Amino acid sequence: MKTLFKLAAAGVVAALIAGPAAADGHKVEIEFAYPYSGLFKETYAKIMKEFNKQHPNITVKFRASYENYEDGTNTILREAIADKLPDVTMQGLNRQAILVEKGIAQSLEPFIATEADFAKDGYHKAMLDLSTFDKQVYGLPFSVSTPIGYYNMDILKAAGISKIPTTWDEVITACEKIKKTGKDGMFWGWNITGNWFMQALMWSQDAPMIKNAKFNLDGEAGLNALNQMKKLFRGCGMKNYSIADGQTAFKSGKVGMMFWSTSSVGSVERDKTKDWTLQTAPFPGMLGMNAPKALPAGGNAAMFVSTSKDEKRRQAAWTFLKFITSGLGAAAVAETTGYVPPIKAANEMIGDFYAANPNKLTAVKQLPLLSTWFAYPGENGLAITKVIYDAQERIVVGDIDDMEELQEELVEEVNALMPKG
Amino acid sequence: MIDTPRPRGLFKTGHAFVAPAVLLMILILMVPVVVAAILSFSNYSLGSPDFDWVGVKNYSKLFARSTYKKMLTASFVYIGVVVPLSVFLGLGAALLINSLGRFGNIYKTIYFLPVMATLLVMAIVWEFILHPDVGVVNRLLALGCGTFAETILSFGWLPWVDPATTFYGHGCAQDFPHWLGSKHTALGTIIFIGVWQGFGFNMVLYLAGLTSVPRELVHASVIDGADSAWDRFWLVTWQMLGPTTVFVVVITTIRSFQVFDTVEALTDGGPVKTTYVMMYAIYEKGILQNLIGIGSAITIVFLLFVLAVTLVQRWFVERRVHYT
Repeated sequence: MKTLFKLAAAGVVAALIAGPAAADGHKVEIEFAYPYSGLFKETYAKIMKEFNKQHPNITVKFRASYENYEDGTNTILREAIADKLPDVTMQGLNRQAILVEKGIAQSLEPFIATEADFAKDGYHKAMLDLSTFDKQVYGLPFSVSTPIGYYNMDILKAAGISKIPTTWDEVITACEKIKKTGKDGMFWGWNITGNWFMQALMWSQDAPMIKNAKFNLDGEAGLNALNQMKKLFRGCGMKNYSIADGQTAFKSGKVGMMFWSTSSVGSVERDKTKDWTLQTAPFPGMLGMNAPKALPAGGNAAMFVSTSKDEKRRQAAWTFLKFITSGLGAAAVAETTGYVPPIKAANEMIGDFYAANPNKLTAVKQLPLLSTWFAYPGENGLAITKVIYDAQERIVVGDIDDMEELQEELVEEVNALMPKG
Repeated sequence: MIDTPRPRGLFKTGHAFVAPAVLLMILILMVPVVVAAILSFSNYSLGSPDFDWVGVKNYSKLFARSTYKKMLTASFVYIGVVVPLSVFLGLGAALLINSLGRFGNIYKTIYFLPVMATLLVMAIVWEFILHPDVGVVNRLLALGCGTFAETILSFGWLPWVDPATTFYGHGCAQDFPHWLGSKHTALGTIIFIGVWQGFGFNMVLYLAGLTSVPRELVHASVIDGADSAWDRFWLVTWQMLGPTTVFVVVITTIRSFQVFDTVEALTDGGPVKTTYVMMYAIYEKGILQNLIGIGSAITIVFLLFVLAVTLVQRWFVERRVHYT
């Protein structure tokens, strides 16, 4: 179908395709792909119901969803080479830069200029900043998350813990108490995409992962972060759960605490066994502080990557992109996931939703802490992510005890992969 | 063979008939291999406009970096265990089934089921079975704790064994292993699944091989004094199965080199690279991280290994196991 459109655009078989297209009322088809179908399936089902009602002449074709953000970016890079790009794609906030650098994502400014009442300032500034390159907006944030704590209140109560921990030291104490009841202490999201939790521990001390284009783990903050992980994993006796196994264990009430992205609040509430109460609370603080100083923003943004020259199709793609990132789309994000919608107005649209769903309010409260989720620059960006992942895994499985040695090895290996000059 | 002169026209027609197959082989087999070989000397990354030639740097990395040492270790340990185990289990199952009159087909079906099942789907089932908390295996093991089963299985009844230090005793006191998440058990678990999945195929090959063992030969050996079953097996059956065994070993070796789906679905090469087999390394570097240069280098090394196995097989077939 896509090639057909291209031929039409080139004017080769314009007459051929214009005939049938006109017959069914100028229907335009656009293609779209997004990551994490487990989290967003219901969200898009909800959005599309309304979108199809309001825009009956636009057909949105959903491509196979991406497994995670890395997969999403990779798929787009491959599709760019094969000239098979969709029109709109959802990309991890930390992976937008590479698509802009390679000229695959297109600036949204020309479209925004034609909109009379488009309020850029309706978006949370920190979110929009993540999608702005050279003062041009390339992506509109769709869903934004921060790391939070999930607590099984029944396990906590059985262990005699009345106050939800606000520091990691308190988390470790809680783990020890929980272990005495025969349950497991916690599952901690070190394996979340893009070294997100490592960056969370760095930001907790107000230290960025990348500073002046240099890997910033070599200082004291880096060592603190590694030591904090070791203390947590050892103190809690955390098992080396895969993401799926860890979530299953928490949902089935075998694990007392889970530290994870707020994005899963929706799916945990839907899937958990019925016999326990879930409560969420802000991410605990490091080095004795009661709260982090900052936190990395997770989530994804809609990017315009259409290679179509058909003006109608491009306009339709923009209409869709605008629809899902504002108003109704944003409200659906809040209702079906644990993500925070990107526009301030959306929170008002859904009225007393948060009063009825306090578990989803935790992330909203953490919004002032929102900071950059760094991607590593250069061709080796994804390889660097994996190197850091491997280093964290070594702490989890107890492969290494000397954190200074690990820091040294890690910094050396990452710097060898960073772009020179 | 008598060389009869052939008319030239026939010769040409022959070439014409072979041409499509040769052309396709060059296009879909040789060209990609050559391209991979060329790319393995570059640092090409998918999507980047330019790249540099880096000589043999990718290859020297393969033999210097600890990551790739772990890769080779994982691959060869996997092959070294899976090949003999699944060959002997296959042979054993085939012999047992062959000696059965009535229920042979039932066992054939049971042992062959894992071969027919999609390995990826099975891997997901294994993931549930082996879940550290809610998995069937650990739940079953935990059931025995505190009962007579613990006393027996922890070997506490042996005077020289401290029950707390044995596998079962330790599991009851602490936790049973996190089969796929611990660096001590992950590769073993993947190997177990590999054997479970693969030996049924070898069984079928051996069953086919057994039909070609002439009964007369067995009878003759009895007359010549091969009284025990072992003698008959060793002197007749095993010798006649020679060609089958070479084929089975080669096929199993190549299949073990290619192990990928279980690793991708269950461990992603972890924990700490203990299950980082070659196929997964190629996938991770070339597909997940877009680093085509190093990915191609691993692919070429991989192909060389498979080529070596194939050459060894040819040598065997031509020299030793030639009966006809």
